[in-house]
Amino acid sequence: MRCAEIHTNLTAFVIGGLEPEEAAEIRRHLASCPGCRRELEELRKVNRVLEAAPPPADPPSHLKDGILSRVRAEVLSPSNKGEPEEAPFLEEQTGSSRTSRFHRFKNLRIVLPSLAAAAVVVVVGLGIVFGFLRVDAPVATIQLVPTPHEAATLHGYWGVAELRPQLSGNLQVKLKLDNFEEPRPNSYYELWFVSGEKRISAGSFTSVGQGETRVLLNVPPEARKYHTLLITEERIDNDSAPAEEVALKGEVP
Amino acid sequence: MMPQHADEISDEQLMARLDSPQLEVALSALYDRYSRTVYGVGLKILGERSSAEELVQDVFLKVWRSSHTFDPSRGSFSTWLYRVTRSCAMDLYRKRAHRVSQVPEGDQHIAAMRDPSAGPQEVVDESWLSWRASRALEVLDAPHREVIELAYFGGLSQREISQRTGVPLGTVKTRTASAFKKLRAELALGDTPQEANR
Repeated sequence: MRCAEIHTNLTAFVIGGLEPEEAAEIRRHLASCPGCRRELEELRKVNRVLEAAPPPADPPSHLKDGILSRVRAEVLSPSNKGEPEEAPFLEEQTGSSRTSRFHRFKNLRIVLPSLAAAAVVVVVGLGIVFGFLRVDAPVATIQLVPTPHEAATLHGYWGVAELRPQLSGNLQVKLKLDNFEEPRPNSYYELWFVSGEKRISAGSFTSVGQGETRVLLNVPPEARKYHTLLITEERIDNDSAPAEEVALKGEVP
Repeated sequence: MMPQHADEISDEQLMARLDSPQLEVALSALYDRYSRTVYGVGLKILGERSSAEELVQDVFLKVWRSSHTFDPSRGSFSTWLYRVTRSCAMDLYRKRAHRVSQVPEGDQHIAAMRDPSAGPQEVVDESWLSWRASRALEVLDAPHREVIELAYFGGLSQREISQRTGVPLGTVKTRTASAFKKLRAELALGDTPQEANR
């Protein structure tokens, strides 16, 4: 095989995407071709960086609105913010020259009656306080990723399961799924906690498809000992056995 | 003069506009360009979606609040934003480690699962690689990005990608090689780890 033909396949070889016989042919060529070996090393450098790539996922859409709203509120009521926060490394970058850009912009702001500004502060403040108080930190967060079969057809499709112990002893499972397609007609999804041959159903649900689906389910305390989470698509029929095809899978780290 | 559309403006020009009445448009454009990278890096190094969301919020609020510390003569906006992201991620990492240590004794098993295995320096090292990879992938068009994502995140071989997408195998291989060529050029242009970690 000539170098030009090898080069076409060399990238696929580096990422392990060739069939065994193709890979064997590349190896034979590399053994006697220093030029292709040099090229291989360059491609491996790119591969090393790509292996560190984060999963393709968009942040939830509400996040941007929340950030812009907060900035808007702070612009209108700078006293709510006080001085802009600075990380130590940012201070180092500018030395003592904390410029007056922020303060100059403050002078550009729309001047509202102080009562209205105060109302914004109170509303935003209460929102933050009550929002914070409502946060109930999970004791475990499990990434749910598509099986390779499912991943091939979908983008940005994945989920997270957060586990929270309840006073009743049950374990609450909060599912957040992104772009998780609707089940087929006469079907539904089911979440399972699995350990070897044993499994506990956490319940069934459906999905909205495009966008974010949030579901709350509960399992008995025994489920804490089960280290694998599976979401299967189940048919509505007389067969009570779990479906074999798994849409999402997560391992308790 | 025709008004400039936000997507035609450089990152540096947008940063300058954070100090003007065009603040929201400018911050929104920067968010559209970089939030995916910040979020992805957050997922990668913090491992939790809620933490990654918190990171995105912290980073873009800091971009606005600290915009005056950005000096384009000292490096690209991307590298500056990486440093902001790294700083915020480390804060969240420490906060999370603190939370883990406070899990009640009855939940030993789950507490152990949440205990981060990587130390702070490993988190920093990994974050720069993740950042570079994510930014490089942004230069690819959809067909090239698709073959790379299916290979790396779907774990598919070239033949399986061909079967899945209906694109001929030869084209899949050519696209993969071409994508790597673009990524190689993009990665060669980027700042060094020393510049990023200044």
